[in-house]
Amino acid sequence: MAENTTQILRGTLDMLILKTISLAPMHGLGISRRIEQITDGVFQVKPGSLFPALHRMEQEAWISGDWGESENNRRAKYYELTAAGRARLGEEKQGWSHLVLTIGKVLEAS
Amino acid sequence: MPLLSTLRSMLSAPFKSDELEHELDEELQSYLDLLIEEKTRAGMDPAQARSQALIELGGAEQVKATVRETRHGAALDMLVHDIRFTLRMLRRSPGFAAVFVITLAIGIGANTALFSTIKALLLSQLPYQEPDRLVASVKTYEGRNAGPISRLDFFDYRRLCKSFEGFCTLSSTTRMTLTGGERAEAVGVVFATWDLFPTLGVPPVLGRKFSESEEDLAGANVAVIGHDLWQRRFGGSDRAIGASLHLNGTPYEVIGVMPAGFRFLFDTDLWVVIDRDCPIDEQRDSHSLWAVGRLKDGVSLEQAQSDVDAVAVILEAEYPETNKAKGLRLYPLRDYMVAHVRASLNLLIATTGLLLLIACINVAGLQLARGQRRVAEMAMRSALGASRRRLIRQLLTESVILTVLAGLVGIVVAYLFHNLLLRLLPMGDPGVPVPTIDGAVLLFALAISVVTGLVVGIVPALRGTSLNVWQKLESSNRTSESKSGTRLRSLLVVVQVAMSVGLLIGCGLLIRSMVNLASVNIGFETENVIGGTYAIQTDDQSTTPERVEVFASLIAEIKAQPGVTDAAAITKLPIASRGTDWPIWHAAEPRPEPRDSIMGLTRAVTPGYFSTIGIPLLRGRDFTATDAEGTAPVVIISEALVRDLFPDQSPLGQMVKLGWFDFAFEVVGVVGNARINGVRSDFDQAIYLSSGQFGPPFQWLVVRTEGDPDLMADQIRKLVEEKDRTAILGELVTLKALVDEDLTGFRVVMLALGLLSLVAMLLTAVGLYGVLAYHVSERTNEFGIRTALGAAPIDLTGLIMKKGLLMVGVGLAVGFVGASLSSRLIRQLLFEIEPLDPLAYAGGALFFGAVAVIACLMPAWRAARVNTVAALRSE
Repeated sequence: MAENTTQILRGTLDMLILKTISLAPMHGLGISRRIEQITDGVFQVKPGSLFPALHRMEQEAWISGDWGESENNRRAKYYELTAAGRARLGEEKQGWSHLVLTIGKVLEAS
Repeated sequence: MPLLSTLRSMLSAPFKSDELEHELDEELQSYLDLLIEEKTRAGMDPAQARSQALIELGGAEQVKATVRETRHGAALDMLVHDIRFTLRMLRRSPGFAAVFVITLAIGIGANTALFSTIKALLLSQLPYQEPDRLVASVKTYEGRNAGPISRLDFFDYRRLCKSFEGFCTLSSTTRMTLTGGERAEAVGVVFATWDLFPTLGVPPVLGRKFSESEEDLAGANVAVIGHDLWQRRFGGSDRAIGASLHLNGTPYEVIGVMPAGFRFLFDTDLWVVIDRDCPIDEQRDSHSLWAVGRLKDGVSLEQAQSDVDAVAVILEAEYPETNKAKGLRLYPLRDYMVAHVRASLNLLIATTGLLLLIACINVAGLQLARGQRRVAEMAMRSALGASRRRLIRQLLTESVILTVLAGLVGIVVAYLFHNLLLRLLPMGDPGVPVPTIDGAVLLFALAISVVTGLVVGIVPALRGTSLNVWQKLESSNRTSESKSGTRLRSLLVVVQVAMSVGLLIGCGLLIRSMVNLASVNIGFETENVIGGTYAIQTDDQSTTPERVEVFASLIAEIKAQPGVTDAAAITKLPIASRGTDWPIWHAAEPRPEPRDSIMGLTRAVTPGYFSTIGIPLLRGRDFTATDAEGTAPVVIISEALVRDLFPDQSPLGQMVKLGWFDFAFEVVGVVGNARINGVRSDFDQAIYLSSGQFGPPFQWLVVRTEGDPDLMADQIRKLVEEKDRTAILGELVTLKALVDEDLTGFRVVMLALGLLSLVAMLLTAVGLYGVLAYHVSERTNEFGIRTALGAAPIDLTGLIMKKGLLMVGVGLAVGFVGASLSSRLIRQLLFEIEPLDPLAYAGGALFFGAVAVIACLMPAWRAARVNTVAALRSE
């Protein structure tokens, strides 16, 4: 939509979602807004990629969804991190910093 | 298990999809509601907020479709993807696939073939009612097994034991002449107590079983016939019941027909009730029957055994002369029926198991090496978002697909192995199912394929994906060697070497036994001798001299034939017909107690038997035509009996008593020892009586020919059948064939083990080669540098040889220890050789060593030829 948004690198969306719900259970819109807010609107997570990712990770048992009430008493599905998800987040974070480091080296090397 | 979970989610998807769909609808609706609420609160009017939210959602149906795709299709997609990926990969490395499939196919095939045997002998139900409650028994003296039981003892056991629902006894098969139909024939007859069929729980298909009263009746003469005889003799007609069969001239009434395929312990054509008149075991110390019982419900074998032991004590007190230290030991029926093949089977089970392990190790090693080369691929895929679980699943799918392919090839291997060798294995007693390759066996092949696939796949899969992928990616252009990976592979090779050497040693022991068996002096000549049973009608030739005359004139006519050099007759041909051991003692002494008795295999022979079969007459004389009924009883004994009976005096002219005769025999001759009870049996005490003094109606004709005795068979048959049309000549067999056949079982075990250990050795050599070759390719750079710095090629060769031979050396040592610890497995099969025979050990080690050196030399040689420039440039 907005032109200054960056395409989220495939494979990192999982990490962002896991990180976002690692603090407290959240519903879909909440996750989406939270990522937008933290990245100052650089990353916008649209429903078309948010929901497939949520459902895929639910199937992998990294997250689990449960129905609950929103702050304005609306029904919404809240996702929270499972133990496997927490481990996965750790792996992704570590992998990410290595990747950044390595790519940085490559860029500096020349 | 990726395949299973995939299958599960595919199956459950249609049932769960409605619920999921509904939930997804709700979830999207709630998202939309929240969005609208957000916008309204931000100051939009409701209608505008709604349309804005819908645009932002980007089409609910599209979102749902994407979710559906990831959710439902995922599992199936993944599988299809994995399979396609695997096939693509295999097309790229056909060599790897071929080695993988063939190696495992051999392991799976051998195990599948053996499973057919295990299934038949050990797992299948015996074809009797509740077979687990059936027990067989063996007589014991002072706790040692000593063959069949006496009829009188049996009756006491049956009367006094409380543990059995049924307790019956039966004789082994006796050959009898059946007349009364169009043609006479020789049939097998088993004598049994009335309760044989009720104890087994198998009723006749036609007519009735024996009744209890028939056992108390003198001369009940009733018979139950087998299905084959019923078809052959009566064309399967109901008229068989009540018909009369003449057995050795005595009429028997047919009262029942057993179902097709019914067999129990001894192959026979018919069963005859043991009635009060039955001549079997008239004395308490005559033993020729086998007792079988059905335990009462809830009675254990141990309880029954103590019950039987208590009865043995009573009998010992009552009949101290015959029953001292005599007992009866019970066995589960199945154990008893397969007892004589158990040792061979255990050995083969262990061997095929080891072979599969060796094959698995080879394949796992192959995968590990491949895994190290695929580090970059794994790291790349991981970076692109593939989870570790996903990668492991992919690797496992690969190895399971390959092993299932191997399983399919393995079925062909199993079929060949089974038909070529295992079918020739000695099987259990009649009644034990015959092994076949059936659905269950094929299922077994599939099951071990999948399990093997997971086993050989899991370690490489875990290792291949475990190390931090990012580190791998950093160094992806150098297929970096993982130290622990190589160590693991070396360890696996050591294990393989140990197992192969163990197998080769076992093989060496069997070969040594075979050599011993082949060089056994069997004591008679097997070349140019042929024999066959001949039974004459006793009702036609009722007196001894008449019966003797029939045989004498027939033998004279055979002898007169061109091409025949000698002919004679004997009641039991060596090897073909065994048993009948009787006690023999000095006539002046009282009859010894059974456990102290000297026993001899007893045969009646016509004059000229010894020269016909080639047993040397060492002292005294052969029987002559004048050793007839009414003259002084004479006996010829074997050298072994002379040693036992007359260690320091001349046997000739001595008087002996034997068996249950109440008169004495004069020893008139001594002949050489012969293996008449089978090549492996060293029971060479033999007692020969003059058949002229007894006139047996059933004897084996033995003919020595000038040329190939098989060519004479038709001529002999024609002559014999023309002479007397009511008499029956059985199949003619050469002694050479009999001896060969006697060793077939052993030879098959030896061949099977030889083949399996050879394959095991080759696989191990391939494994050894693989590890070293990989090692060399890993160190190409290093070798290049070494060469550049002045290392001679021989140094590099030595380096690799040292590494290879170290593995072989450690493996050999472990193999020796393993082989000596498991010698119990093979001890029973060995013939005149110690299980720790140094020659077999040395032979196994040398043979394997030679192959191992070749396997090491090839990569070592390659190491020496590393091209310095090329090696360094590849850096």
